[in-house]
Amino acid sequence: MNPKLLSYEQLWGIFACLALALLAHLGSLPVWVLVTVAVSGGLRLALARRGRGAPPRALRLGVAAVAIALLFAQFRTFNGLSAGTALLALVAGLKMLETETQRDIYVITLSIYFVSVSALLESTSFWLFAYLIAVCWLTTAALLRLTGTLPLPDWRRCLRYSVLLLGQALPLALALWLLFPRFAGPLWHIPNDGHIAASGLGDTMSPGDIDQLALSDEVAFRAHFAGAAPPPQERYWRGPVMHDFDGHTWTRSYSAPLGAPTFVPQGPAYDYTVSLEANQRRWVFALDWPSHWDLADTGLTRDYTLMRRDPVSRPIDLVATSHTQVRWTAPLSNVMRASDTRIPSNRNPRTMQLAQSLRREHPDDAQFVRAVLAMFTQQPFYYTLTPPKLADDSVDAFLFDTKRGFCEHYASAFAMLMRAAGIPAHVVTGYQGGTFNRFGDYWIVRQSDAHAWDEIWIEGHGWLRVDPTSVIAPERVELGAGDVLNAADAAADGWQGRFLWFADARLRLDALKQLWRERILFFDQSSQKQLLEWLNIPEPDGQKLVLLLTAALTLVLCWLTWTVRREVDHAPRDALNRAYSRLCGKLAAAGIPRRSYEGAEDYAARVARHRPDLSPEVTALCRQYSILRYAAPPAPITVNEFDDAVRAFRPHPPLKRQDSPAS
Amino acid sequence: MRTLRRAATDKLRAWAARRHGRDTLPVKIHRRRIYILPTRFGIMLGFVLVAMLLAGLNYNSNLGLALGFLMASVALVTMHHCNRNLLGLHVDVTTEADAFAGGEANFEFALKNTSNVERRDVEVRCQNAGGTCSVFAGSSESVTVAVPVPRRGIVRIAQFELRTRYPFGWFHAWTYVQGSLTAYVAPAPRGDRTLPAVAGAGSGSRSETRGDEDFAGLRAYEPGVPLKHMAWKVLARGGEAAVRSYTALAALPEWLEWSALTGLDTESRLSQLCLWVLESEAAQRIYGLRLPGKEIAPALGAAHRFACLRALAVHAISEPR
Repeated sequence: MNPKLLSYEQLWGIFACLALALLAHLGSLPVWVLVTVAVSGGLRLALARRGRGAPPRALRLGVAAVAIALLFAQFRTFNGLSAGTALLALVAGLKMLETETQRDIYVITLSIYFVSVSALLESTSFWLFAYLIAVCWLTTAALLRLTGTLPLPDWRRCLRYSVLLLGQALPLALALWLLFPRFAGPLWHIPNDGHIAASGLGDTMSPGDIDQLALSDEVAFRAHFAGAAPPPQERYWRGPVMHDFDGHTWTRSYSAPLGAPTFVPQGPAYDYTVSLEANQRRWVFALDWPSHWDLADTGLTRDYTLMRRDPVSRPIDLVATSHTQVRWTAPLSNVMRASDTRIPSNRNPRTMQLAQSLRREHPDDAQFVRAVLAMFTQQPFYYTLTPPKLADDSVDAFLFDTKRGFCEHYASAFAMLMRAAGIPAHVVTGYQGGTFNRFGDYWIVRQSDAHAWDEIWIEGHGWLRVDPTSVIAPERVELGAGDVLNAADAAADGWQGRFLWFADARLRLDALKQLWRERILFFDQSSQKQLLEWLNIPEPDGQKLVLLLTAALTLVLCWLTWTVRREVDHAPRDALNRAYSRLCGKLAAAGIPRRSYEGAEDYAARVARHRPDLSPEVTALCRQYSILRYAAPPAPITVNEFDDAVRAFRPHPPLKRQDSPAS
Repeated sequence: MRTLRRAATDKLRAWAARRHGRDTLPVKIHRRRIYILPTRFGIMLGFVLVAMLLAGLNYNSNLGLALGFLMASVALVTMHHCNRNLLGLHVDVTTEADAFAGGEANFEFALKNTSNVERRDVEVRCQNAGGTCSVFAGSSESVTVAVPVPRRGIVRIAQFELRTRYPFGWFHAWTYVQGSLTAYVAPAPRGDRTLPAVAGAGSGSRSETRGDEDFAGLRAYEPGVPLKHMAWKVLARGGEAAVRSYTALAALPEWLEWSALTGLDTESRLSQLCLWVLESEAAQRIYGLRLPGKEIAPALGAAHRFACLRALAVHAISEPR
């Protein structure tokens, strides 16, 4: 093929497509890569605008070498999603700079396609998916304009044609997507780029952390209970457990995997599925004390947190069974006892004093706990999302000065008091409560449901959950943080509350999201197995899947061949031809058939000679046909109107006195 | 690589010729004679699609897979559209063309599209020459292919090719038509001898000659007379078609003789004769052509010119290639 020089317009179209595809990577690509692509594309366009070719070869090579070296310096590798995408984007952008012929454009379109797919690899968003399909559509249309050698078809036609192609491709793509065998794990190791920041609860907890989270509406996870859900005051989702306290900040320490469970479940078992969003953390949120779970590379630690081997970098589902009441069978290990009673020396002296004096009054553990909780209710403690800032000895400052705090303040102070009295205690962070979505039968747990509470070891009983916040603000536990804060600040947030339909619409949207997740994002081997079962295929396995895929592809390809060729093989006459044939048929029945060489106007003239009585009507109809067939649109009459007129036309039989018409 | 490719193409051409036999023009392109292969760009696309598939499977990304599969399906649909771009086209061609050596033989191809879909960017290829056109739904289009002919003689083209890369250049569909095209290649008009004086001068009727431009009355029209000699005014008044007669036209014909060109080799003689034919035609002199074993009676006009040029083209060529 002859290399064909490209026009400004063609370059512009393909550059726009490249820019749109890279837009999807806005967050993950280094800014300088985007700038380089934009500058090289813009430069090339500016040159093309003035009718000039690509810049000199030496300059292009120089720029490319510098850019790729920079990229390598930044990433240290070209492997992995961000580095690979950045490289691809850079190559496409620099290719833009040297684009002269169609062949260069081909390379750019291929990069656009691949960049689009790579944007989806770690994404779960429906909107991004729809956006990238649109980008591919536009690129395909641009490609059509690029490859046409004769007068370029206009944009609208190209877009329409690509829609047609996508439409015809859809059944095939669907068959492939449904039936192409999926693998359980990755084919090779996926390098973790680490460009996504971890979100949600963290490794440490200092005063002010959770109330920052409480402002976020982001969904932490969704939970669906197979049976009944536990009552709100028992719906505690345990996350990272904090053991180390330095007087201000609590830190999660390494916790060894648990050998055998040290508890016996009591009371009702709750079966549930937690649909966790990607948060780049290793822990998984489970209800209280999980006895059974179904998730690869996940185990319980000694402090009963479900921990994964790798961070949660993509949404996962945890299917588990939990109990809210358990009986502890093993005594507290010495290691745990030591770590859970350790207090930083010389910090929070007033709290230490308070604990010691209370302990003297209440030597019994249970009484001591009650006394501490009573102190929270009797003294003017407040539950607030905007507590004052605390000094270094945060517990002292909170208990004796400010007396205003959010859950983490209470949990921190309580654990400190317990430890000071020699009772093993730790802070548990996680989520409490959630919003029920009645449109989808599941609970939405948002970051605003983040919570902190304590667990203390009572001899003869075991670990016991104590939530000091529930003493100060019982409605927090029963209603959820959002509702409590809304009630306190109704004016600011009344909008949501007042318009119920808005809340409903939000829930419906969320239910759709969950459906998208279950049906599309989590479509896997087991879903394919279910599909085979649903099709009544006995003993479904991979081989049968491949057979079914082959059969489906054969069918769809046959259909495709048929649809594509149908337009050629029996070219159905268009509506205008049909209407005209009808007119000719009627006139033939009246005794004047059209001769094969006769045009519409000549035919009308001949009819007029033989049957002057029909002349006005026939002349008008033939004239309309000529206009519709040959004149430039817009025609004064539509094809349908013409068809109606032909249908209405009734040539009466020739009158006796007239000459018999020549045929 | 290139020779390998050419050898493969030649094999395929020969096989297609055996498979389909001779075609009688016009030909409707049947689906069984359309071949299709991905282009280099199509193969590149294939690699990218495989990369998409691997990436999607590796990252376990259903969305990535979905977009990858969609693009793969678009490629497959495109294959059908590429094939359809040739399917059912009617092809006709003027089977004979005249040319001069060193020039081009122009074959005019007519593509008729009776279907409801437009056929874009269909290329007709004859030997190494080609021409491209698009045919709208339900219409026809003609495309001229100029085949270079370096040497005098008869060039027979046993097969021509219709090909297309529409819509995206991912696939290359083509078909061979076994229609024999003939080009009569006259020698290149060349030479430095002047046009011979009228042979047999002084044999009587020369006296009537009064000059080329002298009007000598009207005579009845006969085919082959140059249009500029038509008496249009007479025709416009409703009279019979007539030709203005000039005295020179009535003059004795001049003979362009092979034997007059002594001292030249065959090809130079033919080139000189060819030049004379063209000059005589341009000067509107009646001329005849005498070659060894062939004589063309004196006349004037396009048909006569063609006859002379063909005689020069085939002279001393016993077995056309």
